[in-house]
Amino acid sequence: MLAYAIRRLLLLVPMAAGMVIVTFALLLMVPGDPAHVLLGPEATPDMIANLRASLGLDNPWYVRLWDYFAHLLQGDMGRSIFQNAPVSQIIAGRLGATIELAVVALLLATLIGMTLGVIAAMRQGSLIDTATMLLAQLGVSMPVYWMGLLLMLGFSVQLNWLPAIGRGAPLLDAFGAALTGRPQVLADSLMHILLPALALAAYSAAVISRLVRTSMLEVLREDFIRTAYAKGLRRPRVVIRHALRNALLPVLSVIGMQFGILLGGAVLVEQIFAWPGLGQLTIGAISQRDLPLVQGITLTFALTFAIINLIVDLLYAVVDPRVRLG
Amino acid sequence: MKSLLLLATALGGLALLSPQAALAQDTKITIGTDVDAGTLDPRLTTDTTAYRTVDLIYAGLVTLTPSLEAKPDLAESWESPDPTTYIFHLRKGLKFSDGSPLTADDVVYTFTTITDPKFNAPDRGLYSPITKVEAVDPDTVKFTLNAPYAPLLSYLDKGIVSKAAAESGRDLATNPLGEGPMTLKNWTRGDNIELVANPNYWAGSPKVTDVVVKIVGDNSARAQAFEAGDLDVIQSPLSPNDIKRLEADTRFGNVIEAGLGVTYINFNTKDPLLADAGMRQAFSMLIDQNSIVNDIYQGVDKVATSIILPSSWAFSPDIKQPTFDVAGAVAKFNELGWKDTDGDGILDKDGKKLTVTIATHSEDPNRVQAVELEQAIFQSAGVDAKVQISDWPSFSTNYVMKSEHQIALLGWLNIVDPDRLLFNQLSTGGATNWGGYSNPEVDKLLQLGRSSLDQAARKDAYQKAAKILASDLPYYIISDQGYQLFYKKPFPVDVDVTPRGNFRGLIGMPK
Repeated sequence: MLAYAIRRLLLLVPMAAGMVIVTFALLLMVPGDPAHVLLGPEATPDMIANLRASLGLDNPWYVRLWDYFAHLLQGDMGRSIFQNAPVSQIIAGRLGATIELAVVALLLATLIGMTLGVIAAMRQGSLIDTATMLLAQLGVSMPVYWMGLLLMLGFSVQLNWLPAIGRGAPLLDAFGAALTGRPQVLADSLMHILLPALALAAYSAAVISRLVRTSMLEVLREDFIRTAYAKGLRRPRVVIRHALRNALLPVLSVIGMQFGILLGGAVLVEQIFAWPGLGQLTIGAISQRDLPLVQGITLTFALTFAIINLIVDLLYAVVDPRVRLG
Repeated sequence: MKSLLLLATALGGLALLSPQAALAQDTKITIGTDVDAGTLDPRLTTDTTAYRTVDLIYAGLVTLTPSLEAKPDLAESWESPDPTTYIFHLRKGLKFSDGSPLTADDVVYTFTTITDPKFNAPDRGLYSPITKVEAVDPDTVKFTLNAPYAPLLSYLDKGIVSKAAAESGRDLATNPLGEGPMTLKNWTRGDNIELVANPNYWAGSPKVTDVVVKIVGDNSARAQAFEAGDLDVIQSPLSPNDIKRLEADTRFGNVIEAGLGVTYINFNTKDPLLADAGMRQAFSMLIDQNSIVNDIYQGVDKVATSIILPSSWAFSPDIKQPTFDVAGAVAKFNELGWKDTDGDGILDKDGKKLTVTIATHSEDPNRVQAVELEQAIFQSAGVDAKVQISDWPSFSTNYVMKSEHQIALLGWLNIVDPDRLLFNQLSTGGATNWGGYSNPEVDKLLQLGRSSLDQAARKDAYQKAAKILASDLPYYIISDQGYQLFYKKPFPVDVDVTPRGNFRGLIGMPK
């Protein structure tokens, strides 16, 4: 399994290189020029030419691509054109917020999705089943920004229970504060993250609940379940210990894929809830055509996604001893 | 839901009754805004958030009052011994926020860098008539111009940077050092900018001690965050729906007035189809100003009549662009040889169909809607109209600025002087004359308007130019943009805002 993990990690290198080239090509094709954006609408052509030269934008594409790789190998993602700071530093300051949001959303999605899925499967064909699957249908079909605005309208504007925008202290710090006798810090952080995480989780929760339901229905018909009942085990024990554990396998791989969807959704959710993460940064960077920053963010997203998937694959082997990695 | 609304209103009402005294001590305000500042170096600002934040961190020689008059700020007084010379007398004992002295050398340094082509200041064009800035003594600065330049004072509210700090390599874009009423405490990029009162401002500290500028990119989310109480102030741009709702809500105070921006149609006069002023007139008659302004923008903007803002001293109600008249437009097209000879509903001439592309950018859904409405109207008049929508950088840099457009819908902001919407835009070869318009008569009038120091002569020149432009139509002005600001009540200080949206009117400026 160690050899497998190492091989998968090595495969990240060509993947990252491919990612850089694809992003680079896309950015070459997209019209719009950072020098223009930086200088505003009243800039004259000679000012723009000056700035393009000093940013190295007038070099041919292969020189720029080569430069980028040469720097990347030394761990240098370049400097943001607009923020005049190293891209790696800017991303490092943002990545935590996005991962926190995505992880909390993933936990929420798994929790909600599994609960609803199991309940629906146990009461197949009942009103609860229909209601749950209707809810799932809603979750799958509602765009994430619309869900975000609705949640904000309900819980912040009308009920005034939760803050509409922003982030509290980082959750890890907040847990530390709670342990040292300042629980209000943790409460504040949780209240801030709840709405964006819920908006982000809705789609994944819906997907997971459908999958758990189908998978559970299949497993519940298996022989070993009947055997378990025959042994005289009680229903909750059969469902949780025997059925759910087996139904979890396909769910686990989907959860890995969902993380990618969550990272993508975070771009929109962060914009709505003013969550200071990478997603919000992405929108700004693209609309300003801050090329090195867009490159850096894409690469970071891709690597995060790849690593999460690797972890999920390794977990697969842990949950199911039949799976041999190698 | 209804009872919830009632409950919320009732609670809001209770909040209003709470004692004023307790709130008077709470002098932190959170202002919601749409974009992050690109830089906090006053010489390099291009976006509204940067302009407005820099205006708090820095001070200029003058400051503009809500009615856009120049009023002394760092300069105590000034004189103009001849039309091309301005002498400014600085206040005594000016200091930057770190306590270091501010002298005439800093003013000279600021404007020397702005006018230096290598420095790439986005606003350089506004200061191009300045040929020399020199320090007469530590408290006196002399500006020499190559020609009289009437709008100069309106542009001298530019913040003064510290020469010593800049030359020591301090990155003023991210770590500004100013002399204005507030100073930067913390800047989390893309999220918020936190400012605190600057006791070293020459007039003393403002009443508000903390200002947080919070970036909420989505217009509706920003309005909702304001209603939820997370923000104390929001302002344009807001969606028309939200404006109507907030305006009716008694929990909030509002300022709704004429702004300093226009939404307009840019005709590419170099395009073979649009080179003829007659064609531009015909197309202008197809612009349904009323529907765009009153239905799409729900009346938050006003129907424009000419290129001069109604709030300007140069405005005249007698100058009028063509108005919406489909039959008139078709008659005009026919007169110019465009007729539907093959009966397919589309006008044609010499075997070619009348085809035109209307473009705008995707960020403003109201502009997209306006363009779609116009497409339908164009088609009803027998014009085969195509629509092109792309994001702002693609639309501006790679399309309009390269003069590849035919008919484009966009806007100008910050028109503090008629010169600001005319000289660079419509003079022959002007830096932002993307439609390639050229008319020697207009050139002469615009030059006169900028160089005459006699207000009556300027007014006359601009009105004459506007009259020509109203029939020549390189621009067709659709609407004069409204400006809206909403604030929670009670607000800790008196609200005294300018249509430029600057924040100084929100912080209880020292008198």
